[in-house]
Amino acid sequence: MVFSSLTFIYVFLPLSLLFHYLSRNTLYRNIALTVFSLIFYAWGEPMWIILLLISSFYDYFNGILVERFHGTWKAKLFLILSIIGNLGILFAYKYGGFIWENIDWMLKNFNEWFSTSMETPFEKPTNTLPIGISFYTFQTISYVVDVYRGDVKAQRNPLNFLMFVSLFHQLVAGPIVRYVTIAEQIENRKVDWALISSGVGRFCFGLFKKVVVANIASELVDKYMIYTYHGDGNFDLSSYEAWFGIVMFSVQIYFDFSGYSDMAIGLGRMFGFKYDENFKHPYAAQSVGDFYRRWHISLGTFLRDYVYFPLGGGRKNRYRNVVIVWILTGFWHGASWNFVLWGLYFGCFMVIEKLLEDVLKKTPRIIRHAYTLILIVFSRALFYFDTLYLSNPHFENSDFKYESDWSPLFGFIGNLFSSPNAVNPAFYGDLMMHVYFFILVILLCIPWDEIFTEENRFRLKVERVYYFAQPAVNFALLVIATTLLVNATHNPFIYFRF
Amino acid sequence: MMNLINSIVFFASISSMVVMYFIIGDDRSDIEFHNGKAYLTEEKRELTELQPFTFENYLNGDWAKTFDLFVNDNFPHREIFMQWSVELRKLRGIEVENQEKIVYIKPKKGEQPKFDDQGNPIEYLDEYDDSYSNGLLVLNGRVYPRSGGSPKLAANFARMVSEYAAQLAGEVRVLTAVPPLSSAFIPASEYSHYNGQNQRSLEAIRNNLTNGAIFCDVFTELNNHAGEQLYFGTDHHWKPIGAYYAYVAFCKGAGFTPVPLEQMEKRTKTNFLGTMYQMTQDPSVKENPDVMDYYIPKVQSTAIRYGEFGFKGSAAKVFEHGCSGGATYSTFLGGDRPLMKITTNVKNGRKAVVIKNSMGNAFSVFLISHYEELWVVDLRYSKQNLIEIIRTNNINDLIFAPGMNHVMNPNTVNMMRRLGTQSGVYIPPKPKPVVDSTIVITDTVP
Repeated sequence: MVFSSLTFIYVFLPLSLLFHYLSRNTLYRNIALTVFSLIFYAWGEPMWIILLLISSFYDYFNGILVERFHGTWKAKLFLILSIIGNLGILFAYKYGGFIWENIDWMLKNFNEWFSTSMETPFEKPTNTLPIGISFYTFQTISYVVDVYRGDVKAQRNPLNFLMFVSLFHQLVAGPIVRYVTIAEQIENRKVDWALISSGVGRFCFGLFKKVVVANIASELVDKYMIYTYHGDGNFDLSSYEAWFGIVMFSVQIYFDFSGYSDMAIGLGRMFGFKYDENFKHPYAAQSVGDFYRRWHISLGTFLRDYVYFPLGGGRKNRYRNVVIVWILTGFWHGASWNFVLWGLYFGCFMVIEKLLEDVLKKTPRIIRHAYTLILIVFSRALFYFDTLYLSNPHFENSDFKYESDWSPLFGFIGNLFSSPNAVNPAFYGDLMMHVYFFILVILLCIPWDEIFTEENRFRLKVERVYYFAQPAVNFALLVIATTLLVNATHNPFIYFRF
Repeated sequence: MMNLINSIVFFASISSMVVMYFIIGDDRSDIEFHNGKAYLTEEKRELTELQPFTFENYLNGDWAKTFDLFVNDNFPHREIFMQWSVELRKLRGIEVENQEKIVYIKPKKGEQPKFDDQGNPIEYLDEYDDSYSNGLLVLNGRVYPRSGGSPKLAANFARMVSEYAAQLAGEVRVLTAVPPLSSAFIPASEYSHYNGQNQRSLEAIRNNLTNGAIFCDVFTELNNHAGEQLYFGTDHHWKPIGAYYAYVAFCKGAGFTPVPLEQMEKRTKTNFLGTMYQMTQDPSVKENPDVMDYYIPKVQSTAIRYGEFGFKGSAAKVFEHGCSGGATYSTFLGGDRPLMKITTNVKNGRKAVVIKNSMGNAFSVFLISHYEELWVVDLRYSKQNLIEIIRTNNINDLIFAPGMNHVMNPNTVNMMRRLGTQSGVYIPPKPKPVVDSTIVITDTVP
């Protein structure tokens, strides 16, 4: 189920809130929330719920055992077992196909060179990616590691642990909520109208970002990043249109994902949970490093705390550690070399920024900002065309072969810098027809809360007005989103596939 | 206090819809009922009904998917929200009068039903493929695909046709009559490159045909009449006049004398809003419904249509004069039948098979003036073995007349290739239509 569906907003959410608040008893509320979370997860693809349950109970016991044998080699053993189990699930279901393809490719080449006849030792996995697997496996890993470090006590109640893993607010597309963040709230959460109301506001705002901004941007992306098949891999786009398309994809991916995170945080508050922020105006960043302190913060801090610091952090082999973390960040996003390249791309720029730290500091803000945005926007091509090698399902059952098997990614990048195509006259019409939309996007990307600090009088006034206007504002956002959803057929979240 | 009001307003809003659904029920202005089933009037489709819950359809995800569609289709006051959404979308920017627009369409997911409960064909933009993947251009209330085909893909089609020509050498003539896409005739100079692209794509067919296969130059014939409206503006098909010029080109290739339009009966249908309007939902297109003049050859004919595997035929019509509204184009052959046999009073002993998609429907009706027997095979739906039909019925001409979009799609080219090898159940050469004045239709103007 997705948050931006009429089923979720008008059937699932009211029912889950109703059942959750029927009683003040925490045990009852946790049971209600767990049941609704499992219904949410099982919606449309119920078979994966078994994997979720196995993963949850596996780490539930690992957590208890790690705590029980704290300080002994057995604790380390169960920690390693937990990590192997979680990464094993992740590799089996997310990376199995990718590993098979690469082994198969290597063996084919090996056979060709050395006239051998070796075959890939296992069948190519054909399963689809279980929704949210990248998020919940990381959550459970962080839990067991935190128990091992003594940062948190193991959860003894299996129901509470299952609820932590399966909380529908953040289960399928994050943020990656660490157990330590909500350990107290699981057993004793305090809910008041201020918290619920702020959750409502956050949810409506996130819904608006997704349904209005991300979905309209996606229509432009479909139009300006899609390639026309000419049999020779050429695009029918001018450079202006190609840049416009990739900028719109950057807009889409940000509003899509941050909209989801806003909704998740808002839903959490409606049920009494306080999740950490996952985005802080990333497109206002002054450097690549700054960007990733503002973008998908829960993944960044996870890899910082559980990979970068254990590797030695900035004290030992700093640059190597940065590159490793970034390759892992890329690989987390998907089983494709594109994502590895994407991670490497940013890893390299992070290293360069560290090396040129002094130069960057002296550079004017506007230049730093422009440099960051260009690098970020350009990198989105690796996300959009998520393969380096083309296997177009359209031609799968055909004996007709595409002339070039390389991904359209390369043709698109070529078009960004040099295109023989003239600008289509309809492009200018599209710009005019979306001019208010562009203004809205810019307004929403500006970090107003950084410009107007908490003591700022103007900000205080605006907050005061919002306090009184919030029912009307949120109702209006809900109606606008509903209006567009009624006339929409398909609007999945991009981060569902990670 | 405001926090409480905010929370209550939100909860009341999201809860009220379920309550309103039960209050409103079927009392809606956006649905109409046919044969006990509810249809969404504007969208020309059946209203989604709630599936009974079973463990099996829950496990495979069908129940949840249908439930989502059910909630969407039955959302209280859906028609009002739909109207609002059109107005809301206008707020994205500045609307310019007669502005050129590009509308991107997404392929329909999953298999679409081909026929409704009554056995009538359902009109879709079912040929979704690369011809439409670059979006549709809306220009002055008319819609065009933003594509001009590809010579390389056209060559692939020509190779397939040539294979048939080799296999059937000495038995039948193999001809092609492929029309360009409507993009070839966009009345604006900035899009004139599509004309050249279409031409190059079709020339590639000519250049790659071998084994005596005959190329009928439909493009040149249509291009000579480029100033006329050859294609619909609201639908992805061509107008009968466009199909007629293709027929003229075919006659030149086949060595026949085309029947002049004046010798046919002309009829007119108005107010046609077809698939392109459905896909774009553009108001300027809605304001420009198509008018369809069509021409009926003065030939007596009877028609029998068969299902995919065609165990037995049932009576059909070459012209379904009753078709109107969104189904206006189904006037020809009654839409896409998997296989149709037309017998005429042209006693010249010539027999032909036409391989076509829906574009070929308007074209095939002109051929009845030249053949005693015409077999019309829909390349997508027929499971009959083409070679068997040809040999059993002593066919003289095998005519490939699919739309360009199917020529450009390697999958549909392969479907045409498979027609010659698939082992569909064979139809007896002489099915027995019940000779009854009510069901054997004569398209005759004495």
